[in-house]
Amino acid sequence: MNKTNILIIEDTKSESDLLKEILIANDYNIVGIATNYTEALTLFYQHKVDLIIIDVFLNGQPEGITFAETITITPNIAKPFVFLTSSKDRQIFERAKLTKPFSFLLKPFNELEVLYAIEMAVEKFYDQTNVYLSEDEDTVIGNTHLFIKKKNALKKVAIEDIIYIEVEERYCNIITLNEKYLVALSLTKITEFLDANTFSKTHRNYIVNTNKITEIILSENLIMLEGNHKVTLSDKYKDFIHKFKILK
Amino acid sequence: MRSKILFFLIFFTSVNFLFSQQNYNNLFEKKVKNSYSQFTREKNFNKAQLFFLEKNWDSTLVYSMKQLSSDKKKSELDNYCYFFRGVSFKEKRILNEAKNEFSKISKEFEFYKTVKNFLGQIALEQNEFKKAIDYFKEFENFPETNSFNIKKGEVNHNLGICYLHLNNYEKAELYLLKSTKIQEKEKDTFLLIGAYGDVANLYYNQYKDNLAIPFFEKAYLLSKKVKRYDLKKTTALNLAIVEENRKNLEKSIFYRKEAEKWNDSLTDQNKIWALAEVEKKFAVRQKQKEIEVLQVKNEIRETQRNGLFIIALLLLCIFGIGVYFYLQKIKKNKIILAQKENLDELNATKDKLFSIVSHDLRSSVNTLKSSNSKLMLNLKSNNYEELDGLLHKNAVVANSTYNLLDNLLNWANQQTDQIFFQKESLHLFSVIKQVEYNYKPLVLEKNIELKIEIDKNTFVFMDLDSLKIILRNLLDNSLKFTNENGVISIFTQDYSSEYIQLIIEDTGIGMSDAVIKELLQENTQLSKKSNKETIGTGLGMQLCKSMLLKNEGKLNIESQEEIGTKIILFLPKYTTNE
Repeated sequence: MNKTNILIIEDTKSESDLLKEILIANDYNIVGIATNYTEALTLFYQHKVDLIIIDVFLNGQPEGITFAETITITPNIAKPFVFLTSSKDRQIFERAKLTKPFSFLLKPFNELEVLYAIEMAVEKFYDQTNVYLSEDEDTVIGNTHLFIKKKNALKKVAIEDIIYIEVEERYCNIITLNEKYLVALSLTKITEFLDANTFSKTHRNYIVNTNKITEIILSENLIMLEGNHKVTLSDKYKDFIHKFKILK
Repeated sequence: MRSKILFFLIFFTSVNFLFSQQNYNNLFEKKVKNSYSQFTREKNFNKAQLFFLEKNWDSTLVYSMKQLSSDKKKSELDNYCYFFRGVSFKEKRILNEAKNEFSKISKEFEFYKTVKNFLGQIALEQNEFKKAIDYFKEFENFPETNSFNIKKGEVNHNLGICYLHLNNYEKAELYLLKSTKIQEKEKDTFLLIGAYGDVANLYYNQYKDNLAIPFFEKAYLLSKKVKRYDLKKTTALNLAIVEENRKNLEKSIFYRKEAEKWNDSLTDQNKIWALAEVEKKFAVRQKQKEIEVLQVKNEIRETQRNGLFIIALLLLCIFGIGVYFYLQKIKKNKIILAQKENLDELNATKDKLFSIVSHDLRSSVNTLKSSNSKLMLNLKSNNYEELDGLLHKNAVVANSTYNLLDNLLNWANQQTDQIFFQKESLHLFSVIKQVEYNYKPLVLEKNIELKIEIDKNTFVFMDLDSLKIILRNLLDNSLKFTNENGVISIFTQDYSSEYIQLIIEDTGIGMSDAVIKELLQENTQLSKKSNKETIGTGLGMQLCKSMLLKNEGKLNIESQEEIGTKIILFLPKYTTNE
C-alpha cells in the first residue's frame, strides 16, 4: 500500500507550507510545489501524480483554472484536483465549474477541510460518491489504482499488482504479491468498475487477475497464481477459460 | 288625283269616330253607374266599371274577366261585362275580338241598341258597308237625346260614308247633307268641317265641281276658326288640289303655301313637342346629374364621417395608451418609492452596522494594542509566566475579530449576490466536524463538554459554504454564551421526508422571549446589542437566517434565561433522485 502522490500548485509560500505540513502529517506524499503554470505542467509530467491541489490565482492571474482546463481537455491524463481559493467570486467559479468534476477548498482551511476536499475530489472524479463518508465502504476504484481510506488519509494499491480478490460479505481481501489488505468494497462495485477483461470471477468468492494465472488444473478445479496462490474454480464459472487461447 | 282626295275622306271618317267616342253623354254615364248600384257586392265588377268610366281599357279587361270567371252567373252582370270588354277591345282596335264580345250579349241587354251602333261602326271600319248600313238604318231617325250614346248626326254621317263607298251618290248626298244640317244645328265645329269635307268630296267625285267647291271653301273657312293645324292643312290642301284642277294655279299655289304653312306649324308644333321632349329629357338628365352630384356628396360625406370615426377611434386608442402608460408610470413610481424606502432602510442598517462594527473593531484592536504593550513590558522584565495568559487572550480576541470580519464579508457578498452558490449532497457529520475543528482550543480552554451525535449516513442538500457559515455562527454563539464547564450538544432528529432537524443545545445564559422574537423577525434590521460584554452585532444571526432561506431551510429558537438555548435547524434532506 503506497502513499497517494499530491502535486501542490500554490504561489504563496505560507499557504503551501501549511498545506504540505497538513498533508505530510496525514501520510500523503508531496511530489512537488509549483508556483506557476509552466512549472506545474513540468512537475505534472515528471511525476506520477494522483491528485492536484490548485490555487485558482497564481500571481494575480487565474492560471490555476487554465491548468485545470489543460489537463481536463488533454485525453487520458486527467487526474482528480481540488481548487484552492480565498474568494467565492461568482465569475471565477462559473469558469472553474466547467472543468467538471471539480471540488474546491476555501481559504482559510483547517486540516479536516483539506482531507475532506481531497476525498471529495477522488470520489467525484471516479464517479463513486459517498464512499469515504459512509460507514459501509472505504475504497474508490480508480483507473490504475484503488484508493483506500486508512485512518484519515487515502492509500493506493496499483490494480495491476492485484493477484486476486477474495470477497467476504461487505469486505474484500485484496491479495498482492507481498501484501494482503482488507477493504470495505462491495462485489457489485468491483464488477462495475474493474476491467472485466482482466478480472474474472472463478468462484462465488474469488475474482482473479487473469494476467497472474500460471496454471489451471481442471481436474482439481484449481487455479494456480503467481506467488503460489491457489484459487478454487467452481463449475459455474468455468466458461472464463474460453477467454484464453489454449495451447495444444 | 281622285284617290288622293279619297284618302282624305277616310281620314275624316276616322276623325269622326274618334270624336264620337270621346265623350259619353251624361245619360249614358248615369245609366252605367246605376248598373253598378245593382251589383254592389261584386268587387271585381265594381272595379271594371270604374276603370271603364275612366277609360282605362286594360284594367277594365282584367277585372271584367275576373268577374266573368267567378262562379256567380247573372246574365245581366255578364252582359255588362261583355259590353265593357267589347268597348275596350274596340278602343284598342282589336275589332274581331270586340265583335266577338258584343255578339255574346243577349238581346234583353239594356244597351243593346248601343251595341248595335258599335257593331255598325266596326262593320264600317272593316269595309262591310252594307252590313253597316243595316245596323245604322235603325237609328236613322232616332231622337237626338237618348240614353244609348247614339248621335243622330253621326249616324247619318256614317250612313252617308257607307253609301259614298258603295258609289250610291244620291243616297250618300242625302245622308251627308242631313248630317251636315244636324251638326250645323249642334254647332259641333270639328265634326262639321269633316262633314263639309265629306260632302265636298261626294260632289267632287261626281264631278259636280260647282257644288263641291262651296263645301270645300266652307270647310276651309270653318277650319280657320279652329286651332287644329291638321284640319287647316287638309282643307287648304283640298282647295289647292281643286284650284289646280281648275287650272287656277295662282290660287292653288296660295292654298298649297297655306297648307305648307299649316304643315310647318304642325311640324313646328311637333318640333315644339320634340323640343319640349328634349327639354324634358335634358331636365331629367339635369336632375339625374344633380342626383349623382348629391350621391357623390353623400359618399364624400360618408367617407368624411368614416374618417372622423376612425380618427376618433385612433384618438381614443391614443388616449387609452396614454392612460395605460400613465398608470404604468404611477405603478412604477410606487415601486420606485417602495424601493427607495427599502433602500433607505438598508442604508440605515448599513450605517448602523458600520458604526457597530467599527466600534467593535476599535475596542478589540485596542485590547490587542494594550495587551501587546503589556507583552513587551513583561518580555523586558523577563516575566515569562504572564506571557502565556496574555497570548491566549490575544488569540481569543483575534479569533472573534476574525469571525466578525468574516461575517461582514459574507454579509457584503450576500447583499451584492456575488457569491457562488451550488447546492450539493453534503455529509452532515464531516461538515460539522470540519467546523468544530477550529473551535477545539476554545472548547478545551472553557472546559466545555461538546457532544456531537450525528447519524453518519445523514446527507443534506445545501451549499457547502452556506452550511459552514451557519454552523460556525451558531457554534460560535453557543460557545460565547456558555459558561465554563457547560455542555453543548449537537444532534439530529429525523423530522420529515423533506427536512432533517439539526439541534444545537447549550447550557448558556439563554434569551428572553423578546430577544428571540426580535431575532426571528423577518427584517434585515440588526438587533440591538443587548450583551455588552461580548462582541456581537446580531449580524451572525441575520446571516444564518438569510443563508437558510436561500438553501430552503428554516430556523427556530427555544430558550430559557439562565438555563440554556436550543436552536433548531431544519435542513433540506438529500434524496437520490434530486
